Amino acid sequence: MFQNRAEALALALPAAVFAAIVFLAPVVILLAEGFRSADSWSLSAYTTFFSDPLNRTVFLRTFRLGLMVTVVSAVIGYAAAFAIVNLTPRSKGQMIGLVVLPLMISSVARTYAWIVILGRTGIVNQALQFVGLSDEPIRFLFTETAVFIGLLQLFLPLMILSLISALENMPKDAIPAARVLGANWFQVFFKVILPLTKEGLVIGGTLVFTGSLTAYITPAILGGSKVLMLETLLYQRVTVANDFVAASVIAFILIVMSFAANLLLKRLATARNKR
Amino acid sequence: MTPRVFSPLVLFLVIGFLIGPFFIIVAASLSGGETLAFPPQGFSLRWVAKVFTVESFQESFAISMLLAIGGTAAALVLGVPASYALSRYKLPFGETIRTIVSLPIIVPGIIVGLALLRYIVVPFGLNITLTLFLAHTALVLPYAVRVVSASLNNLRSDIEEAAVLLGSSRAGAFFRVVMPNIRSGILAAFILGFVTSFNQVPVSLFLSGPGVRTLPIDMLSYMEITYDPSVAALSALLAFMSIGIVFLAERFLGFSRYV
Repeated sequence: MFQNRAEALALALPAAVFAAIVFLAPVVILLAEGFRSADSWSLSAYTTFFSDPLNRTVFLRTFRLGLMVTVVSAVIGYAAAFAIVNLTPRSKGQMIGLVVLPLMISSVARTYAWIVILGRTGIVNQALQFVGLSDEPIRFLFTETAVFIGLLQLFLPLMILSLISALENMPKDAIPAARVLGANWFQVFFKVILPLTKEGLVIGGTLVFTGSLTAYITPAILGGSKVLMLETLLYQRVTVANDFVAASVIAFILIVMSFAANLLLKRLATARNKR
Repeated sequence: MTPRVFSPLVLFLVIGFLIGPFFIIVAASLSGGETLAFPPQGFSLRWVAKVFTVESFQESFAISMLLAIGGTAAALVLGVPASYALSRYKLPFGETIRTIVSLPIIVPGIIVGLALLRYIVVPFGLNITLTLFLAHTALVLPYAVRVVSASLNNLRSDIEEAAVLLGSSRAGAFFRVVMPNIRSGILAAFILGFVTSFNQVPVSLFLSGPGVRTLPIDMLSYMEITYDPSVAALSALLAFMSIGIVFLAERFLGFSRYV
């Protein structure tokens, strides 16, 4: 450990000052704008925002979709992570590679693929008509289901990866021990595995939840103006209505939700270190 | 140790769900038909070829490359010394500095873009390309600090203390002892930063206008106008580029250790 404070600050300050000027200051000013009206501080922008039923719908939808994607990705994530952890080291590495792969592909490309799959003449509709389950193309695009599927594919890898590392850090004999003592698989999961992998679940959950809340491309492409989420609503408020106050309110809501999730994560992480 | 029913089927379905859409994009881009479709109608490379002739794609590709390489390099120039100070010195306000530098990862990109447009571009009349460059630098900075810090923490600090005791200057110890040891960490940070910057949309959304556009934004607006498979072809090409870069990095650097 070096002791020279001036030297340390000279090394660290350029980055901090840069981030403060280019990032922190403009964002703080933007957020403050939502609390100013007629030269005084007030919450009127927030009451106006939430008095519009459309805004309330969008807010609840964003929250609901975020939660649904998180819960479903946790369920699928556990199943996939189990399957991967039990493989031989070689195929485990390959499977992890396949899980990571989509993260390297632009989310525009990944989301765009769902148009080919879910569109009017997409694979799903062709298959449904071929087997005679439906006579006309069913509308999947621009529905909440499409946005949900797109978000799930986008963020599931993050959940699987954190659950894999949580499962690998679990004591190897915990599960056989519980089985020998007579626990069924249901009990094993809820009484042994879940408590021991809670932290990985929280990390994965935070990443998926904040990711889903703040995704722009997926709701923009798969939801369009029919299924607005907070991010697409913000964009629309600015570009269509020039309403910067509403934009500031939405920005504040998004930041609060994403900070709350991250704070929870930090809490849980430090709780483990103390133990 | 877990129920057998899980493994193969679940894994097949999950991987299929994650990777399948990518294969569909590739297949659709090799179609001979006029519109985006799967299964592809005939085989042809015409849409792949078309990507290279669309002028706006060429321009926005160049801008995205410039931003990704320049922004990541700038983030490293700022981030490497900061990481070093954070890991090796008793730094006053160390936690505050770390938080400020890592904030851009937590705050949604669209908000950053809007804030920069409103309070930097408009009042100061700052050039859009320059603003995009600053925004991408800020965006990559947290990744740079995180990855470089990880590799600094893996390196014993007594080796540079030994170099200093033996008469080297602090800077000399850094460049001759520390740098060669964290070189792969810096490269990993560069690659992660490049891919993040190149693929990111929301930060650039408000900062892109006619004339200056990043490639993903250009693709989005192209998709609004036409329904031909050229965006699929471009997506596939870009995906192969990212996968290739990451594959090489993993192969030569053991990249995943840092992420």
